[in-house]
Amino acid sequence: MGQLLSQFLHGSFSLLLRVFVIVVPMMVLLEVFEGSRPFRRLVRLWARLMAPLGMTEEIATPTLVGFLFGLAYGGGIIIRETRRRSMSRRQVFLMSVFLSQVHSIVEDSLVFVAVGAAALWIVGFRLAWAAAVTALVSATTAAALRRRARRRPAVDD
Amino acid sequence: MKHQPSDLPGLPDLLEPAPSFGRALRRDLPRGVRSGLATFWSLARAMVPAYGLALILEKLGVITVIAHVAQPVMSLLGLPGSAAVPLVLGYVLNIYAAVGAMSALHLSPGQITVLALAILIGHNLLVEGAVLRKAGMSGVGFGVLRALSGLLAAGVANLVMKAFS
Repeated sequence: MGQLLSQFLHGSFSLLLRVFVIVVPMMVLLEVFEGSRPFRRLVRLWARLMAPLGMTEEIATPTLVGFLFGLAYGGGIIIRETRRRSMSRRQVFLMSVFLSQVHSIVEDSLVFVAVGAAALWIVGFRLAWAAAVTALVSATTAAALRRRARRRPAVDD
Repeated sequence: MKHQPSDLPGLPDLLEPAPSFGRALRRDLPRGVRSGLATFWSLARAMVPAYGLALILEKLGVITVIAHVAQPVMSLLGLPGSAAVPLVLGYVLNIYAAVGAMSALHLSPGQITVLALAILIGHNLLVEGAVLRKAGMSGVGFGVLRALSGLLAAGVANLVMKAFS
């Protein structure tokens, strides 16, 4: 029992130390970055990267926020943006597909890097995977929408 | 359209002009540090109990039983059966609980990476499913998509890693 307790204390301490050293400084930088001009430049670059996945510029921005900061954050942005202007359901769907595969990229990845995962794989491969899944869903649903439009030409989505 | 200030606290307002990074650093550093520490505190509260739980389950032999049952599925990903414990904790709770449980197991760096991919793509399915529902999407549908896609991504990553090692 005493051995289990000492293992628990020792393990918890080293786990928290690794997470603290890696996660906290990056989170601070990310928080500052979000309010700065370089972030706005990244938004424009990001919108161009997202275009091949079928996303418009107006949905690319909340997607970037969710990608960097997390789904709860990205979700908050969607709710705000949909209140400000109407957003097509298809665009919200595409964003949800992408963000369901990858969100909160900095914090979540760092937590796993802290316990020994390979950063290149969990960031690079995951991002490529998310893009592939989104492109696949985008192409499939676009084809389905076209088929439906051919059958019922009067109905527009 | 007239610009309204952000009504959701903590969200960046993308329509307002932004300062350079240096200025933003001077202006936002205290807020950044507070937020970074708050994040750490919420991680710690999820990780430590999950780590303790996994240690106790291991001592009681429960993990051996789960590992035995999950072995056939997990071996497809090149993982030991015990890796099902952090995976399921991740699905139901969050990645911090999963990381806590993961550090109580003995996994190789490659196995940690493969398992991390499955958990990073599919996790916290109940809470994040509720967020997606708020955006008018199907929470269940996305939960299934994420769990399957995560396992598939982990399987592909495992095969690619094996091929190149």
